Amino acid sequence: MKGMWASLVDWLDNRTGFRWLRHHALDEPMPAGTGWWFTLGSLLLFGLSIQVLTGIGLALFYAPTPDHAWDSVRYITTGVRGGAFLRGLHHWGASVVVVAALLHLARVVFFGSYRKPREVNWIVGLVLLHVILAFGLTGYLLPWDQRAYWATVVAINISKLTPGFGEVVASLLRGGADIGALTLTRWYAIHVMVLPLALVTLVVAHLYLMRRHGISGPVRPQAGPSQMFFPHQAARDLTIAMLVGIVLAVMAWKGAPPLEPPADPTSSNYIPRPEWYFLGLFQLLKYFPGRWEVVGALVVPGVAMGLLALLPWLDRGRSREARRRLAVLIPFTFGLAVVATLTVLGARDAPAVSESRWNIQEIGGAAMVNTSERCTRCHRPDGLAAPIEPGRISKPGDWVAMHIADPEVIAAGVRDAPQGSKTAQAETKAMIAAVSHLRSGPPPALDSATTHVYSEFARQCFSCHTLDGAGGKDGPDLSHAGLKLTADIIEQRIIDPKSVKPDSDMPAFGGKIGPEDIRAIANWLASRK
Amino acid sequence: MNAHDSNRRKTLAGLVAAGMSLIGAALAGLVGAAATPRAVDRTRKWRKAASMFDLPPDQPFAAVLADRHADGWYETRKETVVYLDKVGEEYRALSATCTHLGCRVSWNLETKHFHCPCHGGVYDRDGRVIAGPPPAPLAHVNVRLNSQTSDIEVEL
Repeated sequence: MKGMWASLVDWLDNRTGFRWLRHHALDEPMPAGTGWWFTLGSLLLFGLSIQVLTGIGLALFYAPTPDHAWDSVRYITTGVRGGAFLRGLHHWGASVVVVAALLHLARVVFFGSYRKPREVNWIVGLVLLHVILAFGLTGYLLPWDQRAYWATVVAINISKLTPGFGEVVASLLRGGADIGALTLTRWYAIHVMVLPLALVTLVVAHLYLMRRHGISGPVRPQAGPSQMFFPHQAARDLTIAMLVGIVLAVMAWKGAPPLEPPADPTSSNYIPRPEWYFLGLFQLLKYFPGRWEVVGALVVPGVAMGLLALLPWLDRGRSREARRRLAVLIPFTFGLAVVATLTVLGARDAPAVSESRWNIQEIGGAAMVNTSERCTRCHRPDGLAAPIEPGRISKPGDWVAMHIADPEVIAAGVRDAPQGSKTAQAETKAMIAAVSHLRSGPPPALDSATTHVYSEFARQCFSCHTLDGAGGKDGPDLSHAGLKLTADIIEQRIIDPKSVKPDSDMPAFGGKIGPEDIRAIANWLASRK
Repeated sequence: MNAHDSNRRKTLAGLVAAGMSLIGAALAGLVGAAATPRAVDRTRKWRKAASMFDLPPDQPFAAVLADRHADGWYETRKETVVYLDKVGEEYRALSATCTHLGCRVSWNLETKHFHCPCHGGVYDRDGRVIAGPPPAPLAHVNVRLNSQTSDIEVEL
């Protein structure tokens, strides 16, 4: 049996030459003293492999269209077996790749490994770093949520600063007149076809050049016999890969950060922030106002990259020891510290503006949406339409308005909305306001009694009275009603306004709202000081 | 190999290289032509932004204008936000797009300024830059009042 197997392997080797390939790939002599610092390249390769494999898994389900991208990513997270873990691995794997690439680059600089004859491989490595960052940038858009959309708006507008042909570059990145369907398909094609092709080509070139010149080894050559890559260095590589793999799996176990609401170009309360590895650039842009913008966006990063690319020609001494290369290592370390500081400052900058406060009408409207038979007869778990979930309303605003006014409408403008009573109109307005706000998340959690009062106020009072800056102007502002009126007087004014104020033109609500509800509204208004 | 053969070989090699370059250039040109976006029709037209009665007296009003929009194969709606304001007896419309890197500015009720959430740009009620990196004021959009319908119309 063993003879047959050996014959088969010999035959395969004769036809393919795989033994030569294995020998060439694994039996590389490593200089004495090569150690753990030289595992970072393999760690990067390990991270890239994870990205390729998990990317294939995600591509099985992802649909690159504006009306399906968000839903397909949501389905991956909630409907695919192991989907949340898969997406988590891809998301955090991207960070592992960036960290490994930066550490690898730093190791090469500190060890002076870019020096003659490895100049070309150094340049290939820098291009590879840009390909990795381009993966991050293009992958960011694909979930088509708020974060994705606004990060892409900023990225494309930065490209407009390219001297001479900024508009051409921006137009090529956008694909169409605005960021939309053509941008999404374009960035998807770049992410899953163009960049992987570039990645494979560059990785093969990097490995080929690494083997052609051999690894640089320790800074100070050490005496002793060289060891083969396999199994000695391979064991170190595997150890590091497994340790990082465990950390990655733990991070991915909780999945990727949750999807944000679907992309909304009209949103004004969303605060866009890039992924952490672009936070340094994000922060840098703040320091270059007006016409100096191009300096922060392109000149500073461009000059830094240019200097890095020229390192092999700027640093040409004999010794690779750090103390003899301080002219290179001090500015490089300073540059790393600047990038790290900018990244931390960018991460700490979270303006408090975007707290999207729910007003009384919206909270009341949300309660109506949850309880109104108009909505729940279809929007329920086993109903004709999916339940209404905060943060996933992707239909345009006027479609939603028309649909709430006339639930059987299928497109805005197809049929006029039926005219209802004033109360029904107020209800409709409240529900429209609530659904618009539900795009960005759920309403605040309140007890049922308070929510009920808010609903009644939205239904009966909001169209005439202002509360905290929102509402009608026909009646007095009730934001601080409790400063002037007691609950008893408010109650009486609601039941029969003329009994308290004979010249009042407010209608009597005595027969329209139940006595308990009137009492509850009066108590609540009286508590507003 | 004599000189004649050598020349023939060089000529043939040159022809093969030229042919392959031609095929490569043709394929690259084809992909490049497909990837180049079509020219965009930017013709402006007057459209209703809001009723004059919608405008609150003490703050700009964010009007969302929706329009049918062909985004390649995808029929969608393009939604544009402009801030309408009344200055004396005149109306004014400001684009809600930050002139820095295109984020959406919003009116802050407390500071009475427009704030950009991205890089901290701040504009006053007239759209002038008062802080942060924006290189230019908020763009003014042509606006008019349709006296027959009481609608405020903007040219977009």
